[in-house]
Amino acid sequence: MKAVGARLPRYDGLAHVTGRTQYVADWSAPGMLACKPLRSPHHSARIVSIDTSRAEAHPGVRAVVTHKDIPKNTVGHLEALGVPADEPYFADGEVRYKGQLIAGVAAVDEATAMEAVELIDVVYELREPFLDIRKALDRDAPQLTDKGNIFFYDPYDHRKVTKGDVDAAFEKADVIVKGAYRPSAIEQAPIEPQGCLAVPESDGRLTVYTCTQAMYFTMGVLAEHLGRTPGSIKLVGGTVGGGFGGKVDSATEPCAALLALKARKPVRWIFTREEEMLCGSVRASWHVEMADAISKDGWLLGRKVLTLHDAGAYTRFSSYGATKHSFHLAGAYTVPALRTRAYVIWSNHVPTTAMRGFGVTSASFAIEMQMTRGAAVLGMDPWEYRLKNANRPGDLMPTRKALEDPSTIDTIQACATAVGHPLSATYAEMKNEERAGEWLPEHLLDQAADAKLGDPQGAAR
Amino acid sequence: MHLTVNGVAEEVRADPLTSLLRVLREELHITSPKAGCEQGGCGSCTVLVDGEPRRSCLTPLIAVEGCDITTLEGLSNGVELAPIQQAFYDLYASQCGFCSPGMMMASTALLSEHPNASREQIMEALEGHICRCTGYVKIIAAVESVANGSAAGGTNGAVASGGSR
Amino acid sequence: MTAPPELLTPTSPAEAAAVFGDGEGVTVMGGGTILLPELTYGKLRPTRVLVLGRAGMSGLERADGSVRIGAGTPVGELDGAPEPLVTAAKHVADVEIRAVGTIGGNLCATAGASAPRGDLQAPLLALGARITSVGAGGETTEDITAFLEHGTGRLVLSLEVPDGQAFGYARLDRPHTHHYTMLAVTAVRGADGVRVAASGVGARSQRLAGVESALAGGATAAEAAERAGEGLDLPTDALASSWYRGQMLPLLVQRALGQLG
Repeated sequence: MKAVGARLPRYDGLAHVTGRTQYVADWSAPGMLACKPLRSPHHSARIVSIDTSRAEAHPGVRAVVTHKDIPKNTVGHLEALGVPADEPYFADGEVRYKGQLIAGVAAVDEATAMEAVELIDVVYELREPFLDIRKALDRDAPQLTDKGNIFFYDPYDHRKVTKGDVDAAFEKADVIVKGAYRPSAIEQAPIEPQGCLAVPESDGRLTVYTCTQAMYFTMGVLAEHLGRTPGSIKLVGGTVGGGFGGKVDSATEPCAALLALKARKPVRWIFTREEEMLCGSVRASWHVEMADAISKDGWLLGRKVLTLHDAGAYTRFSSYGATKHSFHLAGAYTVPALRTRAYVIWSNHVPTTAMRGFGVTSASFAIEMQMTRGAAVLGMDPWEYRLKNANRPGDLMPTRKALEDPSTIDTIQACATAVGHPLSATYAEMKNEERAGEWLPEHLLDQAADAKLGDPQGAAR
Repeated sequence: MHLTVNGVAEEVRADPLTSLLRVLREELHITSPKAGCEQGGCGSCTVLVDGEPRRSCLTPLIAVEGCDITTLEGLSNGVELAPIQQAFYDLYASQCGFCSPGMMMASTALLSEHPNASREQIMEALEGHICRCTGYVKIIAAVESVANGSAAGGTNGAVASGGSR
Repeated sequence: MTAPPELLTPTSPAEAAAVFGDGEGVTVMGGGTILLPELTYGKLRPTRVLVLGRAGMSGLERADGSVRIGAGTPVGELDGAPEPLVTAAKHVADVEIRAVGTIGGNLCATAGASAPRGDLQAPLLALGARITSVGAGGETTEDITAFLEHGTGRLVLSLEVPDGQAFGYARLDRPHTHHYTMLAVTAVRGADGVRVAASGVGARSQRLAGVESALAGGATAAEAAERAGEGLDLPTDALASSWYRGQMLPLLVQRALGQLG
């Protein structure tokens, strides 16, 4: 146990400071070709035809691939978690976002590949894009799928969490605080753009140098797209120049691999900064409406939340993110009655994905703003309002799981000390213990008793 | 075209308008300068041209004909580290490491002209360098430690006990 | 693959002017900070590139009441030029880019895809710089306002900036980043009145005609500032919205005029 508590150098520290760390773009292979993509210039359009013949004939081009070349175009990344596959790797018949991948070109160098991309002829039939998720239920909103624009969380069209009797809480409340919070999309923007180098081996196997954050995950996705066994693929990676969730989508590996197999040469595809910013997946934008029911002495009695999550053109991991979001809508505080509804909505934006604290940062933002607002309306110190309602051992989460060792009280007290914010004696001396005495109001007497559930069908969920 | 790179005379064949970054990485296989944006906006491509810090992604080959180019690989033999390298290593100024070469090269240029650079001078020299991982605090601290003489120094301290190669 | 461009590498301003000719089909490269990304990304495939790096067009010369600046002078080497040009130049990008980006390139910069470029056009407009350029019709020297109005297509050799004028300069910045100018106002009191110009108000920097006219008519700074947006179509871009620029411009105008004294 000599490592615990010891100050150890980073195992990759020496390589980092001598410039010897190998990132994906630092690998090269003899005869390596450069890949450049053809991307949709339109938010939403039907593809009438794709003609790659002029590109294929361009001097220096070694291979061109489209949806016709990929053994399995639509692979569900989270099928194991019940998220159905809905995204084609190469556009097939339509494009649903500006920047969507339509074709890939491998050529002797990047300049040639870029010229050839311009020689691919695509005929589009433009469609009106759907870009404002607040209009998801409008009858005349453009529909992304034949089942509409809302992801189906069987058997509901939203993720719901219901706990306690929210209507009673709002009737009892002395103060109701409402807010709408709209954190916008955020690009992970690692300094290293994503990419890979696919090398076809002489024994028929495939080696892929990749910057993915999720090696086995990418290996599985790649194997499925290529119709190969995972055992026929070797991934080399693990060195990521910043990911933050933006390098889990296996965006470049399938195309580069297909081109490498077709051209029988190594193919490298590294995103430009522009691609990273415009076409790489982002943290979603959210619309969170929150209403808090509060008693005049500062107890948070109940909360109602309506969330709209912009999944972009395809689901990817959004249904998972919105689920995580929903479970966290009480935040670090105990809210005895809670009713939340989260809708995952498809739009003609770039598909959204994970980014640090996936699904939860939007919840935290809304919650903390609400707590500060609540305190302001009550005329209470915002630190003390938070401490009063802080999670304690034995309190129930929105999902009714009992908390064993929450650290809200200790954390808030430590922060107050660190910034020199004075707390009144009661709050400064508050202990992180099970509710008792003044910290056990009547409405929290027995959190476990299901006095009344808000949704008669909710019990089993 | 003739260049000297890390003390080695090179004859490069790339077109005269090829960026120095691509010449270094693709033709000479010197990969510490990085293509973070290739627009001059992130600083990860920074190298020294005749001792001055330059964005190699914005520098056409023709502009540096006959010049002395220094990259991170040229700061030391990789075993006995330069002070800035030792400081980055000791003070954890690198996380993913991608911005580090550019940070160290810009810092090297600053410290050669202002060996006792102030915090303000350090921040100004690194103004155009973006890091998405560290939050900059440890990077500034590492450069400061060299500037104010509190750094361990750069001779044989490269691999602390327990560190790996 | 497209053939690489023909390179023209003059070693004197006269030679540069001669090879530039009327500019037809010539792409000019000063420091390369704007041009290189366009080449790397395949957005520009020039056939002839005029490389000015060794054309001896850099440097400052003091004359009577003015400073002559070579168009090839890096933006980071303008110490000694009239203010607020030097102050404005210190805000251009960062130290590494200022070391190579030229004042000529900045003057002639076209609008970028995401933000206007040419941060120094406004101080030069307000200072009443005179631009010496070559191109179709030979060499001319003219007021910068006229030069910018007739668009691109000429090769700038030098700029002459009057010295010793009272000035005011106010700008908006995002903290801790370097970026093209979001919004900046320069006010300069010259022999023929006060000239006021702003960057970040469109594809090119503009003189604020409403403000100048108000001042010429005896208005106070506050009154003149109210006319700041006259004739402008403020952009929404990666840096700021049109609305925000509209709110801030009068404040910056007032501040700049306040410094004039």
